[in-house]
Amino acid sequence: MSAPFPSTGFRLTNVSVQLGGKPVLSDLTLSLSEPRIGILGRNGSGKTTLLRLLAGLISPTQGTLTLDGIDPARDRKAMLSRLGILFQNPDHQILFPTVEEELAFGLRQQGQTDTAARAAARAVLANEGRAHWATASTATLSQGQRHWLCLQAVLMMAPATILLDEPFAGLDLPAQSRLTRRLAALPQRLITVTHDPASLSGADRILWLDDGRILQDGPPDAVLPAFTAAMDSIARDDHDTALPT
Amino acid sequence: MLALTSPVQTPFHRLPAGGKLAALAVFTFLLFQLDSPTALALALVAIAALHLPGGWPFAAHALCLLRPLWPFALVLVLWHLWTQDARGGAIVLLRLTAAVAAANLVTMTTRLSDMITVIERLAAPLARLGLPPRTLALAIALTIRFLPVLSDRLTRIAEAWRARSPRRPGWRILTPATLATLDDADQVAEALRARGGTG
Amino acid sequence: MERSLSHIALFAALIAVLGFVPQITLATGVPITAQSLGIMLCGTVLGAKRGALAVLLFLLLVAIGLPLLSGGRGGLGVFASPTVGFLIGFPIAAFVAGLIVERSRAPIGLAAGLGAFVGGVLTLYAFGIPGMALMLDKTLPEAALLITPYLPGDLIKVALTGLITHSLARMRPDFLPSRR
Repeated sequence: MSAPFPSTGFRLTNVSVQLGGKPVLSDLTLSLSEPRIGILGRNGSGKTTLLRLLAGLISPTQGTLTLDGIDPARDRKAMLSRLGILFQNPDHQILFPTVEEELAFGLRQQGQTDTAARAAARAVLANEGRAHWATASTATLSQGQRHWLCLQAVLMMAPATILLDEPFAGLDLPAQSRLTRRLAALPQRLITVTHDPASLSGADRILWLDDGRILQDGPPDAVLPAFTAAMDSIARDDHDTALPT
Repeated sequence: MLALTSPVQTPFHRLPAGGKLAALAVFTFLLFQLDSPTALALALVAIAALHLPGGWPFAAHALCLLRPLWPFALVLVLWHLWTQDARGGAIVLLRLTAAVAAANLVTMTTRLSDMITVIERLAAPLARLGLPPRTLALAIALTIRFLPVLSDRLTRIAEAWRARSPRRPGWRILTPATLATLDDADQVAEALRARGGTG
Repeated sequence: MERSLSHIALFAALIAVLGFVPQITLATGVPITAQSLGIMLCGTVLGAKRGALAVLLFLLLVAIGLPLLSGGRGGLGVFASPTVGFLIGFPIAAFVAGLIVERSRAPIGLAAGLGAFVGGVLTLYAFGIPGMALMLDKTLPEAALLITPYLPGDLIKVALTGLITHSLARMRPDFLPSRR
């Protein structure tokens, strides 16, 4: 694997996002540069919107956001070597009928010829003991294998930062531990968005997002116990009867 | 994806796809110029003879592909018996069968990837109208990729319906299926954008 | 650009997948294939241009040898068969249906029904009947007679296209690409 691009990280200045006139993220000012960052929150806390914002898939309603000084929503070309995104559902990420095409696509986007990109894809597969996957149909892979393919397709482009959306959702236990091991070994900066505190115990920094704001920001041994306690208390006292406004 | 290309290798598999398509175009044009039953019957025999190198399984596959023609054959036979114009009926039926069989022969002996290459080459002039060949190839790949995904989605929707209803879902499956396709398309657009878009 | 491409590609796949659905037989016993409904929906949901492109992409996949037409038909042979006029008419039908939905001020369901009728019946038959007349060497009235059994089914599809487009618009009020 080639060495990732040197990266100074994300910088958010007074960022707010409104979707359909509703505020989803309010006045975030953050600097994200640690190697392992977790973004923790309940469903509806705005964490998916934050992920899509960091990914450059949406632009802030107010404020500015940059990765290494570049606006990710504007300059998609510059993002190719800086930012990779692992979506939650592999079926939404895999774009091609065969494994080789899927892996080669990113390299072609980065300007390589079709022949070179396919050769690189086959080399990676061979290196990982998966040479026989090249012509396999992506639809026939198991859930864990599709996750592997999605991550590998992102890694082929050697981005310095990778955004992960609930990376463990839908994986069985062996697949989860394989993925944990694989992620831990990566030289890239990883930003993981999840509702599951257990998966973030190895992080350097955790942001607890609630109602579009940062409720707590710190190391796992400070944030995780507080988050778990708060979730337990919500489950005890609140019967989830209020409709979203 | 199961294409109609025959797994039985024939000498025609090795011919260039562009050449086969051009020959097919000329052959079909000539078929429509002929109006003697004898000449058309000879053309059909010639096409049938071209299936011989593939052996029996290949020919059976070809006959199978001709099956959708039988309702038209039935209509033509009845019609021309009634109008007592057997010669006219024979001309139409022979021409139709020969044209469809010839086209199927090209399909059966050309790999999908070779066809896509020809399409990309034919579509190259469209680049000036804003459709680069790469975008077309990407669209073809995306569609083939999502055939099994959407097929599976449709099965799930039908199962969810049947889990709560004694009746078959019928056309009602179409609304959730279309909705799911719209939503999937949005997700795919983001995944595409995440990896550098269509540019 | 990415959104247009993914909408076109996924709806082309949807048309194909609807061809695998077994024929739906209505209470009256008229069999209808979901595939041609899918073509109408491409127009009324995606709009004229993207709807027509989705149908063209679908036909391209059929032409290069994928058995995606209902009943597992495909390959170049279907373009030499008597129904070729209908195949050529498909993308134009979707275009006309989409254009009517885009231009009409009528409630979306009615506009979609009207679009499906003008596109999926009038326009489609305007291509299908001459195609059949040519391929079977019949006069236009004779060819028209041959396809009349399909008319009741097609009219039911018109009504269904209106109903389905209406409920889609209700579920995704600001979302339907054809009405943006």
